[in-house]
Formats: sequence, structure tokens, C-alpha cells
Amino acid sequence: MAQVVLKDVVKNYGNVYAVNHVSLTVEDGEFVALVGPSGCGKTTTLNLVAGLIPMSGGDVVIGDRIVTDLDPKDRDIAMVFQNYALYPNKTVYRNLAFPLQMRKLPKDEIDKKVQAAAKVLDITHLLERKPRELSGGQQQRVALGRALVRDPRVFLMDEPLSNLDAKLRVQMRSEIKRFHQDLHATVIYVTHDQLEAVTMADKMAVMNGGFLQQYDSPANVFANPVNMFVASFVGSPAMSLIPLAAVTRGTEVALTSPEGWELPLSPANARKALNAKSPKVVLGARHSTVKLHKSQVPGSVPGKVYTVEPTGDITFAQVFVSSAILNISLAPSVQIRPDEPVFIEFDQDKMHLFDGETEMALKAD
Amino acid sequence: MTSIPASIPAEAVRPTATRSIDWWRWGGRVFLVFLLIFTVLPMAWMLLTSIKTQFAALQYPPQWWPAEPTLQNYTRLLDPSGSIGKEFLLYFWNSFYVSLATTILGVAVAVPAAYAFSRFRFPGRTFLFFAVLLRNMFPAVVFLVPLFLLMRWLGLVNTHGSLILTYLTFGLPLSIWLLKGFFDNIPIQLEQAARIDGATRFQAFLLIVMPLSSPGIIATSIFSFIGAWNEYVYAYTFLSKQETMTLPVGIQRFFTEFATDWPGLMAATFMMSVPVVVLFLVLQKYFVRALTEGAVKH
Repeated sequence: MAQVVLKDVVKNYGNVYAVNHVSLTVEDGEFVALVGPSGCGKTTTLNLVAGLIPMSGGDVVIGDRIVTDLDPKDRDIAMVFQNYALYPNKTVYRNLAFPLQMRKLPKDEIDKKVQAAAKVLDITHLLERKPRELSGGQQQRVALGRALVRDPRVFLMDEPLSNLDAKLRVQMRSEIKRFHQDLHATVIYVTHDQLEAVTMADKMAVMNGGFLQQYDSPANVFANPVNMFVASFVGSPAMSLIPLAAVTRGTEVALTSPEGWELPLSPANARKALNAKSPKVVLGARHSTVKLHKSQVPGSVPGKVYTVEPTGDITFAQVFVSSAILNISLAPSVQIRPDEPVFIEFDQDKMHLFDGETEMALKAD
Repeated sequence: MTSIPASIPAEAVRPTATRSIDWWRWGGRVFLVFLLIFTVLPMAWMLLTSIKTQFAALQYPPQWWPAEPTLQNYTRLLDPSGSIGKEFLLYFWNSFYVSLATTILGVAVAVPAAYAFSRFRFPGRTFLFFAVLLRNMFPAVVFLVPLFLLMRWLGLVNTHGSLILTYLTFGLPLSIWLLKGFFDNIPIQLEQAARIDGATRFQAFLLIVMPLSSPGIIATSIFSFIGAWNEYVYAYTFLSKQETMTLPVGIQRFFTEFATDWPGLMAATFMMSVPVVVLFLVLQKYFVRALTEGAVKH
């Protein structure tokens, strides 16, 4: 296993930058998720690490080698594809043996390794079948098997779970995580599903529009999103963002809405709000940090219930606050109905403030 | 499980779909039967005439079923010691040689070309692909005189090379188009996986893509073989020496030299159609797949 370094990696098609000067380091044995909406450049980044498409600029280093100019076959990597890319005309056994045959290993050694990999993944009974005779989950295992059969320096995974049904996806998610822990493998994992990234990865790299937005542990990304994009992308349901304006009232600072209500800020938040380039400040709040009241309490702001979604153990409510919709999680016992006027109380310590112009998170100093 | 008792309200009605005779469907069937008769009747008549004697073939009113069926016409054509047999077998061999050479060369060119059109993005790709198909928008006869002049200039008149070259230019556009559809349908991830698994680009093509596209390659081969096998106008124009002639041209000589020998002519025609029919029957499933693949997204 090895460390992977992306240094100032660029991929452009004319004026369109699919990957725009991305730099990040994946430590040896680390599980890194590249996450972002479709078209954000995450799969392109992975293909650049694999060497499947030529780079426009920058370098990729795997272990102690700069692999930028090497063919995929010489980079000593393994990849799991979204559609599994199993060779349809080969049996499972020959699918697993293919990477070893290409490396000209002796037959008995190939057999030993294939059997070992099959045993780990519990697919020994499927070895003589063709891929089309397997279920989606079994195909997924074979694809994983083909990746781990030859002990590569890095595993690249391109949305490996997105073709599975919901239940199987959860199961394979923990299996891949377990497999990473057992092998201490270096894994770069592409997904559009932030939940997969948060649950599996040691670090997540959030991408948007070809730019790397934030690269940190899931907990840090969740707690301290650097900008509005990351804030609204990570977390389910997403963080709610309410565009407001900051006003100074003597020594106090408050956020005002076009409707006329005011939300006084704590001293720490006031300092953040004053750091904004313009009075435009966006208030961000996660569903679990806001409280819903049926009558006005000090520091609460008015809202109107839009929808109520009971899920069993938690009820999610969407509430119109100013011009935005705010997600709130409630105990199932709370009874509210659509169009009911309610009052929202924000937790000053857990709210996020963003610059309305630059969309960046505001800092207190 | 608890079952909830359900009762149908008394006033509920059960509407039934009324089905009238579907005249369109029946009209279609009648048309198909007519089409079948239209195509099969000449073939049947050809076969029947070929086993008649010379006398029976010219009788009026015609014998619908030969009174004395004979295979004499066939034995005469296939007998290498007789002059007619010698001639026929020579034409047969010429046709076979030209068609096979066209097929092999055609596939050898079409496979890489189609692969390039399918996989690579290069400047002028769309224009080139359109140019390839452009040839098919003109009737083949339009090129007859220019190509003849070209062949004369190249000194290729009366050689099989002239035919092979011509058939290639006519067959390749369709071959490339068919094969491109096949390659387009093979997910690029398969090649990428192979390249990551340690294959070179060419190995990925050879070991992964080629086996998967074999139905397309087979269908394309049949297509160019049949095209070359049946071609008449160019063979008639380019070849004037009897020993180089292909079957379609050669059989025409039966008209002039053996003008009255209808059974012999029919026997020769039938034997000419045998390879085409056999090829088609054996490989028709690939053929249909090739023509529909790429047309429908699976």
C-alpha cells in the first residue's frame, strides 16, 4: 500500500475545466471519499489518478513514483467500476485470474490467489458462472475480488454501490469498510452520496465545479463547512440556508428579514456577522439544532409549516422562514399541521453564518 | 396476517372490453402472404425448371411438376471433365476468391476504422464519418465509368484486383457503420478495467473487445461476402476475359452460348444462390442482431 499525492492536477477541455488545480494527499492506508454532485469532476479526478485519461497539468504520485506519464497498467492500481465492468465472456474464475495472467504469474500461483480472494468474498461457489448469471450483489463482489486479487498499491472505486438496491447498498457499505480496515488499504472512493462518504471515509474531499471545496474528516466537514455549497451538500436532510441582513443596534448585532423580524446575535456570532463584506449574511442551521415552538419565546422568529414527514422515529418538518425552507426534526409526538404558524428558536452556538456575497463561512476573528 | 374483509358494493358494475375484428392486423397478414408468394414463386420455379429435361422445360402449356425429374443438369455443371462443368467451376472459384478476398480485406480495414470512430475523439471525426456514409447516397452505377477509367489507368482491367478494390470501396461504409454500432455498445469501462488490470491498449482491444464484438464481425463479413458474390455490373464491365469472369457474369454467358438451355441456366443460378442461403441461415441470428444492435438502447 502507498500514499497518493495529487499535485495541482488539471484537466481541461478547451475553456471547460473538469478538474481545476486540485491538490490533496491521501495517506498510506487512508480511505478518502471524493464526493460532490454529478459533473463536479470527481470521476474525472479518479480517472486521472488511474491514468485512463491524459492530464492537462499537474502530477500524480503513488508511493515513491511520479506516475503522471505511466500507462494505467504500470501504475499498480486496482479499480472497481460503477457498472462493475466484469468481462461478460469470461467466467468469474477467469475474471479474477485476468489481472494475474496479464502479469504473467505461474498458473498454480494464479489459482491459489483466485481461490483465496474468492474465499474472502464468499464467491467460491460462483467461480464457474458467467457474470450475467449473477445478481447485482454477487457481481459487485466479483468486481471487488478482481481488485483485491493482486494486492495493488491503491484501490480506486467509482461509485461501486450506486447500482445496488437500498438494502444491499447498506450491507456492502459495511463490507467495503470492513475490507478496508482488514487490509489497511489505501482507497480513493468516488460517490455522489454524501452519506456513503460520511459513513465510510477517514477523510472526504468535497468537490464542486472542478474545484476542491474542502478536504477534511467527515466530522470536521459536517461541523465546520467552509462555504455554503459544502454546508448544503453534506448532511441529510441538508443544512437550511436563510438569506438575511445584518444590522447594528448600538452594541448589539441582529439579523433582519425582509418581513421585519429581527434575530439578535450572540457576541461571537455578532463578530462573525460584522466580518461579512456586505450586510448580506446567510444563516445556516442543521435540522437538529433548531427548536420549534407553538407560541413566541424570546429570540424566536416566526415561520409557517409547509410539510410534515413522519418517518417513524423522527418527524421531519419543513417550515417557511422568511424566503427559505427550514428543515426541522421533531419528536414523533409533536403534532403540527401544514400552514400552521410556528416559532423557531436557533441555537446560537451551533448556527452557521455565511457571507452572502462570497458564500464563504464567516469567522469570528 | 389479518385479512380485512372486503365486499364489492352492490351497485358496482364490471365493464368489459369490446373487441372487434382488427382489420389492420388481417390486412397486414394478407399483405405478408402476398409478399411471400411474390418472393418464393420465382425461386420455386427456378428449382423446378432446373430438374426438368430440356424438352419438358419448353413445353406449352408448362409442366407445373416435372414429369421426369432429373439431376442431369447439376451433374453436367459439376463435372470438371466436361467443357460446361469446367467453365462453371472456374466461374465459381473466381467468385469465391474475389468474395473471400473482399471480405477478409474489408474486415481487416473496417474493424480498426470502426473502433477508431467509436472510441477516439479526433479532429474531423464527424466529417470523416459522414464522408464514409456519403458514398452510400449515390447509386453504384454513377461510379462505373470513372472507376473503369481509373482501373484502366492502373492497368487493373481484367484482373480480380480491380473487383476486390471496387467491392471494398462499396462494402466498407456499411461495414464500418455496422461495426461502429457494435463497438459503441461495448462499455468503455471494460477496456479501462483491462488496462488497469495490466493490459496494453491493444491487448484490451484484442482480448476483451474483439471477442465481444464477434457477432458484429461475423455479420459484417457475411454482408460484404454476399455483396461481392452477387455483384454484376462492375464484374461485367471490368472483366472481358472468360477465364477471369465471376459467376453472375459467367452465368449470363449461358444465355448467349447455350441460349435454349433453360434447365442448365436454372441449375447454375440455383447453385450460385446456395452459398448465400447457407451463410444466411447459419448466421442469421448474428445478422439480425447486428442490424438492430445500436438501434435500441438496452
